[in-house]
Amino acid sequence: MSAGTPLVEVRDLCKHFPVGAGATVHAVENVSLQVGRGETLAVVGESGCGKSTLAHTMIRLHEPTSGQVVLDGVDISGLGNRALREHRAKMQIIFQDPFASLDPRRPVGRAVAEPLLIHKIAKGPDADEQVADLFTRVGLEPDMMRQFPHQFSGGQRQRVCIARALATRPELVIADEAVSALDVSIQAQVINLMMELQSELGLSYLFISHDLAVVERMSHRVAVMYLGQIVEIGPRSAIFENPEHSYTQRLLDAVPIADPRARRDRPLLTDEIPSPVWAAGTSPERVELREVAPGHLVAAEG
Amino acid sequence: MEPLLSVRDLTVTFGSFTAVDRVSFDLHEGQTLAVVGESGSGKSVTALSIMRLVELGTRGKIENGEILFRQPDGEVIDLVQQREDDMREIRGNAISMIFQEPLTSLNPVYSVGDQVAEAVMLHQGLAKAEAAERVLEMFRLVRIPEPEKRMVQYPHEMSGGMRQRVMIAMALSCDPKVLIADEPTTALDVTIQAQILGLMRDLREQTGAAVLIITHDMGVVAEVADDVVVMNRAKVVEHGPAVDIFENPSEPYTQALLASVPRLGSMQGRSEPAPFELVEYDS
Repeated sequence: MSAGTPLVEVRDLCKHFPVGAGATVHAVENVSLQVGRGETLAVVGESGCGKSTLAHTMIRLHEPTSGQVVLDGVDISGLGNRALREHRAKMQIIFQDPFASLDPRRPVGRAVAEPLLIHKIAKGPDADEQVADLFTRVGLEPDMMRQFPHQFSGGQRQRVCIARALATRPELVIADEAVSALDVSIQAQVINLMMELQSELGLSYLFISHDLAVVERMSHRVAVMYLGQIVEIGPRSAIFENPEHSYTQRLLDAVPIADPRARRDRPLLTDEIPSPVWAAGTSPERVELREVAPGHLVAAEG
Repeated sequence: MEPLLSVRDLTVTFGSFTAVDRVSFDLHEGQTLAVVGESGSGKSVTALSIMRLVELGTRGKIENGEILFRQPDGEVIDLVQQREDDMREIRGNAISMIFQEPLTSLNPVYSVGDQVAEAVMLHQGLAKAEAAERVLEMFRLVRIPEPEKRMVQYPHEMSGGMRQRVMIAMALSCDPKVLIADEPTTALDVTIQAQILGLMRDLREQTGAAVLIITHDMGVVAEVADDVVVMNRAKVVEHGPAVDIFENPSEPYTQALLASVPRLGSMQGRSEPAPFELVEYDS
């Protein structure tokens, strides 16, 4: 899969948010991971585990508290604005709600053309032509570029957002719950499209999702996050078929199975995830990962 | 046996748009019936019509049909014909409802205990001290840990899962015959969803209430439903026992819907990702 150097290497990335009285949310805590070329790495976990903050910090929508993000051999965590902009073309993001990500007063073709203009990839009729190509690529009619977001269904809007993300010819596309808001039949179509684009264009995906059944379908490797840290990471089959960490097991056990005959009686738990807020001078214990099989790393449990 | 609730030929419109088109199904005592469909299929409007909430604040209109409800005293009434005053007696009492987002369903400025107490004081005429006892009993029933401590908390002090437990406690506090749950776990994390679904299954055995669950999630349907009504574009397309619907869906729409459901474990033994094998559905 990832021949040679990985496309992205994240080393000891931390993102902390102050929450008053010296307390700190340790949203992302010492995360290290790699995304290979042409590979999908899924990051899974529950609300508040830090998976979205990790993605946003990787592309510097949040400034990292510490740590490095190396993209194509360049550490982008310390770059100034101008240099960062150049590298941003290589990494694009798609968000959960395609309606909130498109300007309601502008034709969708303008949204897709904008990155071409900003990154000086094309302008004028050349840009229009590229937008038309992008529309075709994501399964939309090129004529639709003159329409407005409200004229599109949710699935079509998400296709527009994918077209926009592809405009700069990125190497890494971050999908932050990109299919979570879609109806299940549309979700399946968009997932199939993303997989097709991956094989055509050699894209790498960082696929942020809470939906383990979707992740099982489309990822090569999976990272499980809990309280800002990775507790288990490895090839998809290792995570789904031989989960080692108790949290990964709990997460998988909780997934409802779309087969009434497979109904399971589960213990009626009432426990909740502890808080990621730490008082001044305190911090979470660093989780050490050990390799249990090639590429399959698991946090030690106390 | 006579059904507890019988929806017959229900048609609901919003202006010139028909949101629910001649929908019929029965709900029996102790049964869990799932109404499943995608956005805009009319599943929530069906639920809101049973509560007669569809006419409040929206331009919804029940054009046609009956919603027959067998009251605790055995008398069968048509909910469509009830006056608003009478509906107010039924809602939250004989038929109660929980919604997707527990935070917007709870009042932020009252403690959760007081809000559940209000329901039993209003509907069951309990005095304050008795109501507090009942709240404690209900919180224990829905397995809220440390119920005495939780009662005096405000909604913002609770997690999403605990808030939904409070909503279920409130909905069950007047011993309803029918519990309508509209996407009750959609806003919850998967581990919390598993807890709430387990709780709902358990409570049905303890209380005997019939449950009508509205959901878009076939996984949730498979976990809790005895029977399933599949809706698409305002109409019922298929209706039957859950096991049959999942194993032998007869309608093309149901087949297409099930083909696009991701199923955990379906990728076992495969090293590479794989696209969905979609079934063409021509609407």
